[in-house]
Amino acid sequence: MSEKVQGGWRYGKARWVVLAAIIFGLFLFTGFFGVGLGIKPIMPHVFLPGENLTEHPMFGIEGLYLTNTLVGLLLADLIVFLLAFGVFRGVQSGKLTLTGFGGAVEALLEALLGITEGTAGKWTKQIFPWFATITLLVLAANWSGLIPGVETIGLVHHYEGHGNELIKVGPFQTIWDNSHAGEEAHGDYAIVPFLRPVSTDLNFTFALAIVAVVMIQVLGFRSQGVGYLKKFFNFGTLFSKPIFGFIDMGVGLLELVSEFSKILSFAFRLFGNMFAGAVLLFVIGSLVPVFAQSLFYLLELFVGLIQAIVFGMLTMVFMSQATQGHGDEHHEGAH
Amino acid sequence: MDAAAAKLIGAGLAMIGAIGAGAGIGIVTSGAVQAMSRNPDVTGTIQTNMILGIAFAEAVAIYCLVVALLILFVF
Repeated sequence: MSEKVQGGWRYGKARWVVLAAIIFGLFLFTGFFGVGLGIKPIMPHVFLPGENLTEHPMFGIEGLYLTNTLVGLLLADLIVFLLAFGVFRGVQSGKLTLTGFGGAVEALLEALLGITEGTAGKWTKQIFPWFATITLLVLAANWSGLIPGVETIGLVHHYEGHGNELIKVGPFQTIWDNSHAGEEAHGDYAIVPFLRPVSTDLNFTFALAIVAVVMIQVLGFRSQGVGYLKKFFNFGTLFSKPIFGFIDMGVGLLELVSEFSKILSFAFRLFGNMFAGAVLLFVIGSLVPVFAQSLFYLLELFVGLIQAIVFGMLTMVFMSQATQGHGDEHHEGAH
Repeated sequence: MDAAAAKLIGAGLAMIGAIGAGAGIGIVTSGAVQAMSRNPDVTGTIQTNMILGIAFAEAVAIYCLVVALLILFVF
């Protein structure tokens, strides 16, 4: 090996040295000269609800605005449709084993199906579509925030008391971070991005959580009929065993409360994780303009996948719990 | 005290709740890894239940996070 290197210019090695030098130079420039010249990354203003893109409500309905999270939902839907279309084309090609894109989706769905079969037993057919649909949609929604340009490209809107100052650079207008050491930026303008991942909007996560919890009850009634209500209103043993009957009744009422807390927990888990992730990327990007964000992109990739699987899997487990009887009666084949 | 400073302190205090979730996730994972090393055949089932347990433990931290975010950006 050493003969090859001797006296030879190795392009492969030098390339990495040059890349490292460029990155280091960018660090130096933005770190020392950039801030001194006033060129520094702007911390985007954080809005909790989805921002309105239009001045007037859609279709003339009061309060119905086109928000950027709604556009993000359309993007997530588009990704899921493209996924379905890709698999459809793979199936149409007539090959017995799917290859490439279709094969990857098949492998993902097979893994999900395996988990469902292990937990839900004979109700797999009814439960799996909910699991897979929720996981795929939430995964598309979470990862759509990592596409470059989402959450960053937008128009400057007027916000009284929020955001940064507007200045003129030649023929263009741009927002400008006018903060000095130790104080916040002041101004009335902020960028409203065209696209924001839909899972950073509480409306979406709440809607999905309500759908999931309602369908859990529907599956419970389908499998056990009216007897499903016995889980919540357990008065059967109240008179035969006075003390334990009373405890049973209390446990049933607690179950009822826990159904409602499931909605809250579903909605806030997804929203909290994804919104905090977006804010984390903002903050890191405004502190260290180059390179550092890549590491947090990796973290967000992981968190997005985990949250999608957790949302789907919790729905699946709650559904299979609802289909399996409560208490003494054990349905055969449930495990 | 100025209201903005109180907000920042409040958001910081709200995140104290993450301590419990961190300890909880550690306990869950340690138990799961021990179980998997003793009986590698049931790794799949244990993993599913481990992720569920982590999700429940993490939910508490997420409530803290949401409260902190609400304090910072809404109120």
